[in-house]
Amino acid sequence: MGEQLSPLEPIFRPGSHGNFVDGVGVTLSEIAPGSIVQLAAWPGEEKKLMAAIGSVTGLKLADGAGAGASSDRYAAFGFAPGKFLVSDASEGLATTFAGKVAAATGTVTDLSHGRTAIRIAGPRSEWVLAKLFAVDFSLPAFSVGSGISTTHHDVFTQIQRSGPDSFDLYVFRSFARSFWKMLCHASDEVGYEVR
Amino acid sequence: MLITCPYCGPRDVSEFAYQGDGNRTRPDPASTDSEAWNAYVYDRLNPAGIHNEIWQHAGGCRVHLAVVRDTLTHEISSVRFAREHGTPTHSRRNHGAKA
Amino acid sequence: MSPRRTPSGGRVNRLRTIRFTFDGTAYTGHQGDTLASALLANGVSLFGRSFKYHRPRGVLTSGVDEPNALVTVLRGEVREPNIPATMVEIHDGLTAVSQNRFPSLAYDVSAVNQLGGKFISAGFYYKTFMGPVIGPLKGTRFWMLCEKIIRRAAGLGRAGHAPDPSRYERMNAFCDVLVVGSGPAGLAAAHEAAQSGAQVILAELDPCFGGSANWSGETIDGEPAATWASDVVGELKTHDNVRLLKRTTVWGYYDGNTLAAVERVSDHKDTPAKGAPRHRHWTIRARKVVLATGAFERPLVFPGNDRPGVMMASAAMRYANQYGVLPGEKIAVLANNDSAYRAMAALAKAGARIIAIADLRQDVSAACRKLANDAGAELLTGHAVISTEGGKKLSGVKLAPFSATSGVSTGNARDIGADCLIVSGGWSPTIHLASQAGARPVWSDDLQAFLPPETGKGWIGAGAFNGNFSTAEAISEGFAAGRNAAGQPALETTALPDIEPAPLDPNPAPVFEIKAKGKAFVDFQHDVTADDVRLAHLEGFVSVEHLKRYTTLGMATDQGKGSNVPGLAIMAEALGKPIPEVGTTRFRPPYAPVSVGALAAERFGDLKPERLTPMHDWHLENGATMYSAGLWFRPMIYGGPGETIEQAYVREAQATRETAGIVDVSTLGKIAVQGPDAAEFLDRVYSNVFSTLPVGKARYGLMLREDGLVFDDGTTWRLGEHDFLMTTTTANAGKVMQHLEYFLDVVWPDLKVHLTSVTDQWAGAAIGGPKAREILASCVTGTKVDNEALPFMGIVHGEISGAPVMICRLSFSGEMAFEVYSGAGHGTHVWEALIEAGRPFDMVSYGLEALGTMRIEKGHVTGAEIDGRTSARDLHLGWMLSKKKPFIGSAMMDREGLSASGRLELVGLISLDNRPLSGGAHIVEEVDAANPHGSLGHITAACFSPALGKYIALALVSGGKARYGKRAHISDPLRNRFGPVEIVSHHFFDPEGKRMHG
Repeated sequence: MGEQLSPLEPIFRPGSHGNFVDGVGVTLSEIAPGSIVQLAAWPGEEKKLMAAIGSVTGLKLADGAGAGASSDRYAAFGFAPGKFLVSDASEGLATTFAGKVAAATGTVTDLSHGRTAIRIAGPRSEWVLAKLFAVDFSLPAFSVGSGISTTHHDVFTQIQRSGPDSFDLYVFRSFARSFWKMLCHASDEVGYEVR
Repeated sequence: MLITCPYCGPRDVSEFAYQGDGNRTRPDPASTDSEAWNAYVYDRLNPAGIHNEIWQHAGGCRVHLAVVRDTLTHEISSVRFAREHGTPTHSRRNHGAKA
Repeated sequence: MSPRRTPSGGRVNRLRTIRFTFDGTAYTGHQGDTLASALLANGVSLFGRSFKYHRPRGVLTSGVDEPNALVTVLRGEVREPNIPATMVEIHDGLTAVSQNRFPSLAYDVSAVNQLGGKFISAGFYYKTFMGPVIGPLKGTRFWMLCEKIIRRAAGLGRAGHAPDPSRYERMNAFCDVLVVGSGPAGLAAAHEAAQSGAQVILAELDPCFGGSANWSGETIDGEPAATWASDVVGELKTHDNVRLLKRTTVWGYYDGNTLAAVERVSDHKDTPAKGAPRHRHWTIRARKVVLATGAFERPLVFPGNDRPGVMMASAAMRYANQYGVLPGEKIAVLANNDSAYRAMAALAKAGARIIAIADLRQDVSAACRKLANDAGAELLTGHAVISTEGGKKLSGVKLAPFSATSGVSTGNARDIGADCLIVSGGWSPTIHLASQAGARPVWSDDLQAFLPPETGKGWIGAGAFNGNFSTAEAISEGFAAGRNAAGQPALETTALPDIEPAPLDPNPAPVFEIKAKGKAFVDFQHDVTADDVRLAHLEGFVSVEHLKRYTTLGMATDQGKGSNVPGLAIMAEALGKPIPEVGTTRFRPPYAPVSVGALAAERFGDLKPERLTPMHDWHLENGATMYSAGLWFRPMIYGGPGETIEQAYVREAQATRETAGIVDVSTLGKIAVQGPDAAEFLDRVYSNVFSTLPVGKARYGLMLREDGLVFDDGTTWRLGEHDFLMTTTTANAGKVMQHLEYFLDVVWPDLKVHLTSVTDQWAGAAIGGPKAREILASCVTGTKVDNEALPFMGIVHGEISGAPVMICRLSFSGEMAFEVYSGAGHGTHVWEALIEAGRPFDMVSYGLEALGTMRIEKGHVTGAEIDGRTSARDLHLGWMLSKKKPFIGSAMMDREGLSASGRLELVGLISLDNRPLSGGAHIVEEVDAANPHGSLGHITAACFSPALGKYIALALVSGGKARYGKRAHISDPLRNRFGPVEIVSHHFFDPEGKRMHG
């Protein structure tokens, strides 16, 4: 059984909203990847884990906090010491990694149902996100591909910059509807399109 | 107040949770020294000045941090991963504990 | 044309007329006007009534320091009181009203207060409301009534009760350089910092950038200062690395160079743009801050200094030069320094007549004499204003010779007709933000003012903030500060701009007060007079901090911007000490009032975070009444038409025990505990052993805190050798996670264990009752669910309606029960399949109330019993304390106090009068309704038990087991409920557990 029911379903209204008469400042969408997996290395085993990520996804992760990369199908980034979030447009990524990550290297945790992935894109993305998070979203401080962990109110959020004006936000599924409302509210001012 | 998480960089204090006096040492689990356990569970240093503290970056990477902070000025002189550095070494509890 | 509007000049747009009302009267003004300037232009001089004495008050200043002209702005039903008219930009439709007057501003009945002014002197409330110690009015009750009446007469604007429909918003910003203030110093600083490529934010509290350049009347390198300012702003706008924030008040300076600011985004508009907030709150983290906040001109303290028509000299100049408004036609001047002469010249140039100048100094410079002469004004050096004439409007002033050394007037007084008196008592640098950041002000004898220390850790000052009041100094210091803040080396030589006219002497005479008969105000907004300050001294107040609180000097909404230094000076004189020895109070945030909306922005109502289970929408569609449990929403009951809560939960619980019921348990905390040391870790954190648990089985676990008391409970499932799924109570999920993370990170970093919150990964449905297994068997594929395949506490994997599920046979209800976990995205799908499978069996869905009822019948504990004071033995869970291994809490759990007799223990109660019991009620041996005492313990949870047909409760009672079978009483005086109960075992129903073992 594949298709998950989106937690956003009853409030997801495609189309233009807010103050869009002069153009749309941001586009909001649900990414709905097939898989979201957390990989965590034991201290000293990070390189092996990054190699495993590379062998499965083809993504090369640089050293350093928050380093990440993405392709059409996959996205991966560090969000805590030795810990990475990897997403895949297809299902079954946790099973794949379970065969690739030895117990001596680290652990694999399937979060495909537990996190909801939302993309905000467009010229006012940084402006809208700055309303929600006390994090510097400017390009010099937050490079394309890299990721962070932060919080809005009680909503723990992992964010990857997926492009110069595009960010992918991973929130706990139970908070997703609330978070989406807050995100739409914050986007009203600049005009937004849901798709 | 800002705390510079060694992983996430400087973040607002609202992302962090105070996890207690960093000068405590947990007795050996099998220890039956009730004085030592009592000191560990209940005694806290409350200095006016430099203090060793444990903070968790609860709204970020969730790692625990050994923070050296001046309680008078909020100035933070050192932030390190607690798991690598354990309880800070520069000023072990040497007075006040039982006072 | 309005009576006081000059035909030309100023920076208002005379082509654009704006209509607004004040106290119900329609007025017009121009684009660029404040409410104050527009009303002055219309000849209005009376703006409000004062705080205690209801004295008529006009407008004293032109900015954020305004103490007198406070108004209430009405937006629909919403009232915003105490807004300085000087800070309100007019717009079409603006509606403002005056404050603290009845029935009208002009005829105010409480104005008699000024006749009895002695009664409302400093410390009035402290002295008055003690109440008589003897007599019929003994005590404070009568005085409390009086206080209500007096408090209604005193005070400022009245807040409304209507909900505020405006949007407020929060914003975070990061920059290399934050420049506060956009006068010449701030503009120069922003310009230099921007040139270097630094990320710059320039914040200006006014609606236009430029500060004094907008009204100084100076030229900078040959062009008008205002043109120079707009050129610089124009250039700043071309930089991508500069953010310009006007209408933005930086109000707080916090640790880590974090500053708080409020941007008034829409107050100046009739209707805000779609989605735009009214106020936007900025939290700005700056590497360096340039403080270019300027200075405030100080009033002088003399009798009648609060009469409408008395105005700060710089404010009068600003009204003339920036707004094209003359505050009066016949103007008198009172000054202790040169700056008032420049203001006087501006007013003369704008068309006013300058009648006379009373200068407190015995002599003045040639430059000042020339300015006086050019304006055609009579210059009276060594003179003071000793009183003002007129009712609600100034008609004249009394001048007399004055000795600066004694502070009193000497010779014959002389009356002068004037409709405006402009005053300058010197300047106080606006050091508030530096003071908030911890800077200790330094007294300057020359400037008679507190200056900031040279620089702070995170900030650099420039211009008037530093006490350097000339525009040339402001610009050169601004340039230097901007370069410094951006990390650029200082230039060796800087060409100073050429400013015309040349600056005058900035140093005032050290005079703050003119002593003569009559009320002389120090703090206008709180009606604190010079005599009040002296009275406080006579009554023994020595410290400035005490003086401030006793007299309330500087504690009004203007925070004493103008009154602080004069107040200190008078106190210092009374104490016979120099001002720096008396010291000053530390400024605290906010620098200016901040709307509560901006602080609370978007953290309430529909915009607060809520947690919903995967089946949330199903519950709503199927009649559930939802209950908020922390951030979660859970079904309380699925009530039928006309059903009470009790009827609904009794029906749900009964049906579950008779056939089957299903409940959403997705909110239980779930933590993945993974790694080679996972079992060892669980042995250390649970009081019982987990390393012996086979894969495919679950076990109930109990956690203690380090102090030996119970922390949390739940089942943990072993899914693999190194892979456990721990469940926690809903309420404690976050706390347990943090507790476990702490031990892994800080205490046992050598253990190879990873913890991940997977609460949201799984949807959980608990299905229980005699028919539960049959229902499950009818819809699960890929596994059997009989006793052999799925024994008590066993775990199997299968599918329901095509979705993978994990099923554990465990029971909270005491029935044969199963927890069915599926991926959260499949939760509703699986739930609906279970509901469908249950239909032939009349299975019910049940909510928290029925869940609670069944757990009380079974005597299971929850957070109500695990209240942070109970030990495992108190809850009869001593059997879960392993003796084979140490665990968290094991060293402390056997302490004397935790094993003493007489502790509160878990028991059951049965109501003997067939009436409901309720949580929190006390248990006593004998009822004494008049004097409740002798509590043995309290009820933690209560319900009607359908299984027993009785009202029952769980309770923590001293003596516990020893009281089984004994009668006691509940004593609940708050709810007036007293009655007999029987104390029994907490296992009310099926104590042997036959039903769940099947």
